[in-house]
Amino acid sequence: MCPNIIYKDVVKKFEGKETVEALKGVSFKIQQGELFCLLGPSGCGKTTLLRISAGLETLTSGQIFYGEKDITSIPPFRRNIGMVFQSFALYPHMNVFENVAYGLRIRKKPENVIKKKVTEIMELVGLPDVLRRNPSPTALSGGQQQRIAIARALVYDPKILLLDEPLASLDAKLRRYMRAEIRRIQKTTNITTIYVTHDQEEAMAIGDRLAIMNSGLVEQIGSSDQIYHYPDSMFVANFIGKMNFFPGAIQEVQGNNCKIKLDCNQKILDLFYKMNQKRKQEIRKGKKIVLGSRPEKLTVSTDPEGGLLPGQIRIIQNLGKVVRYEITPLLDSKSKLIEVDMEEKLSGAKEGDTVYINFDRKNTLLFSGKKAI
Amino acid sequence: MGIINNLKEFLLEQSKKDYTPYLILSVPLLFLVIFLVWPLGMSIGKAFVLRGNELIFDNFTFANFQRFFTSSMYQRSLRNSFVISFSVVFFTLLIGVPMGYFVARVEMPFKKLILSLGILPIITPAFVGAFSWVILLGKQGVVRYMANKVLGLIGLSLPPIYGLFGIIFTMTLTYLPFVFLLSHGAFKSANPLLEESAMIMGASQSRILRTITMPLILPSLGAASILVFIRAIGNFGIPAVLGGQQYVLPTLIYFRVNGFWDLNGASAIAILSVIIVVIALTIQKKVVSAREYETISTASSECKLHRHPFIKTIAIIYCSLVLLISLAPQITIITMSFFRQWIGFLPTGFTLENYKIIPQIASKAIKNSLFLATSASLLTALIGTLVAYITERRRPKGAILIDFTVMTPFVLPGIVVSVALLSAFSSGPINISGTFLILMISFVVRRTPYVFRSVAASLTQLDEALEESSTISGASWYYTFRKVTFPLILPGIIAGSILTFATLLQELSTSILLYSAKTQTLPIQIYNAVADGDFGVASSLSVLLLVTVFIAVYLMNLFVGDSASSGLKLG
Repeated sequence: MCPNIIYKDVVKKFEGKETVEALKGVSFKIQQGELFCLLGPSGCGKTTLLRISAGLETLTSGQIFYGEKDITSIPPFRRNIGMVFQSFALYPHMNVFENVAYGLRIRKKPENVIKKKVTEIMELVGLPDVLRRNPSPTALSGGQQQRIAIARALVYDPKILLLDEPLASLDAKLRRYMRAEIRRIQKTTNITTIYVTHDQEEAMAIGDRLAIMNSGLVEQIGSSDQIYHYPDSMFVANFIGKMNFFPGAIQEVQGNNCKIKLDCNQKILDLFYKMNQKRKQEIRKGKKIVLGSRPEKLTVSTDPEGGLLPGQIRIIQNLGKVVRYEITPLLDSKSKLIEVDMEEKLSGAKEGDTVYINFDRKNTLLFSGKKAI
Repeated sequence: MGIINNLKEFLLEQSKKDYTPYLILSVPLLFLVIFLVWPLGMSIGKAFVLRGNELIFDNFTFANFQRFFTSSMYQRSLRNSFVISFSVVFFTLLIGVPMGYFVARVEMPFKKLILSLGILPIITPAFVGAFSWVILLGKQGVVRYMANKVLGLIGLSLPPIYGLFGIIFTMTLTYLPFVFLLSHGAFKSANPLLEESAMIMGASQSRILRTITMPLILPSLGAASILVFIRAIGNFGIPAVLGGQQYVLPTLIYFRVNGFWDLNGASAIAILSVIIVVIALTIQKKVVSAREYETISTASSECKLHRHPFIKTIAIIYCSLVLLISLAPQITIITMSFFRQWIGFLPTGFTLENYKIIPQIASKAIKNSLFLATSASLLTALIGTLVAYITERRRPKGAILIDFTVMTPFVLPGIVVSVALLSAFSSGPINISGTFLILMISFVVRRTPYVFRSVAASLTQLDEALEESSTISGASWYYTFRKVTFPLILPGIIAGSILTFATLLQELSTSILLYSAKTQTLPIQIYNAVADGDFGVASSLSVLLLVTVFIAVYLMNLFVGDSASSGLKLG
């Protein structure tokens, strides 16, 4: 059984002209056999954390455990892990078989074992036929190279698999296909896996759990569902999907209902909230809050009676599944563009027209001090 | 008990680490310290004490430098070196840049041929070029003979090639290829969209050339200029053959060591010539760095070629003329090698004797040259590769210092390297003057930058993830180096080594101070034959040398393709 991975106060500083603190004290636990995604904008520290997990970077302070074992100071080649790089890092001077067999040769396995294991793993990654021609990996397509890289990382039964933006160099269609493949292969082998990506859709699709990272810290850990519906912070809310924010203040609290007064037009919004009960006591009269709503939870209408907020349509984009309206609020010049996704096109509304935005009362979030309440 | 357990744990912990890289990688660094840093230090020290005095602080003096204020010969040498180096840079740019532009941007036939013939002057030993110009333009030179027949009609005469003019003329032709090849590369690889967009905005051809094209190739021209400058100021062979009464710093150093065995005085001259190089480098860096631009997009398309018949005609005439003049030395020595003498219009006394006596008179020199060039190239390959690996992959704290140290000999005139080695190893506990060892060390020190650059370039292009993935698979440092790194940088190593081999075969400025009767090399024998006026033998030996070097360079081109000239660049 593959071990879990435990991070304890992991800090990484890159010394140089300007010391950069890439990780500012990260602690969490990855379960046995879990497919765990590290997600965040570029520069958030996710790749550094992965490279530290591999031993390719040393940490400034803190500890990392594989199961019971402290591996903080163990060099990478003694950790028995597998890794798939963004560039695949296939050896151009070796054929496919030798590429895959590389880790087995290091472990001095006998020739017949190597042959058997390579054949098995190539079947698992869905490329049994490639071995017959056994070309140089440079002659293969991107998707095939990807599979070879995975096969090479898994063939010697490592305890942990690390994937560093493995799909970044593939085109969009192949990317969607390969992420399902990676999940299938991971679930077959049941190896504890860390998967780094900056693509939120990819992370949500593939990961058992996700950690959202931002400027060297973990913002939130949870399943795709939890993170999408119950983001802990405004950052997470707007990083995983899009969220529109409206500043306001709590007017009245009654059980699970509360009334919010929006700053921009002093209108009162009557909400029923069910979310994030952690800071329930903070919901009290007079508190300044930010109201968050996802584009698909907003609607627009041409009828002044049908909405609370007037705005001007800037751009209409038909995305197929939804029609996206980018709206400039009319009352508050400071606030940002509002995005509204409608299932159908609003008849009679064109770019430049004034429309009225309405809220879904049961599907808004409240934030205070950038954190959810 | 606790202590013992702790110790046990500590040892266990240490045994997990991999110490082989530290062991292997310290060897080349040690070599650099002993045979480069230490000799240079000794040489600098000796410059400040008088000959025969011990190297201690009480003997400190500026007397060795005073000659530059008192002796007119020293002052003239210094001035000559200045004048020659700057003139050569000026003329190579003047002649080479148009040629590079024509070949890159004008539609004309035989471009490949022009490019490969154009490189010939650099792979021809410089002093061979010099003495072939003596045959053509010397006191009784054939071209001068003819020119004077014509000029005589109007009462003029062409002076013989000896002196400053001859040195500048020959050096310009010798180092022209650097400017030609580098500017050709820059003109060719420039992003055509930049020029096209200027054209669409209404700029004229000459305006585009002035405001877009030239500023963008300036860094390449800067690199070419400094390359030419360093070689021109360090060249020994050409002023030695053509200088006559005109001394330059390298010949002055030779005079000092060979005539008086005054290493202290020679060191002082060496320091001065290095200072001049450093000044030139600083100027180049200042001029270029302010005008270095990031390439924003990588254009895969090529620039449009001029097709106007008028431009084409001018370009073809210009290129053929330059090629003809710069290839005259090769043609001359090949012709000369088959004749007894060449005085007046035609060579006389056709003979194969010049070749027949080679085994008899030069077999030792040939053997020495091959032995030294081969063994030094192998050693250079080893040291250059490991140092490049250290600075590119290990990136220790002092990486910049290592990089700087290993590149120092690139800007040092060859004769300065030999003065330094003699300062450290010709007396005292280690005396290796006159041996093969000191020659080999001088060769290795002088050429390590070539392999270093070449391998460093391969390493930068090599995705580090390849090595990391090997480490993750469980391979130790040595296993990774052997199975992944080494096979992938091998082309870079081979290219650098062959270039080293080719340049070492023709090395004169380092070996001229270090050779003994036992260790005489082929270039030295040619040089001595020229000095004795035995042009026939000098020519046949030169042809032999040329052919060998040519084969080596051809082999290198097989390995690295078009990028052969990149190994010559200074970063």
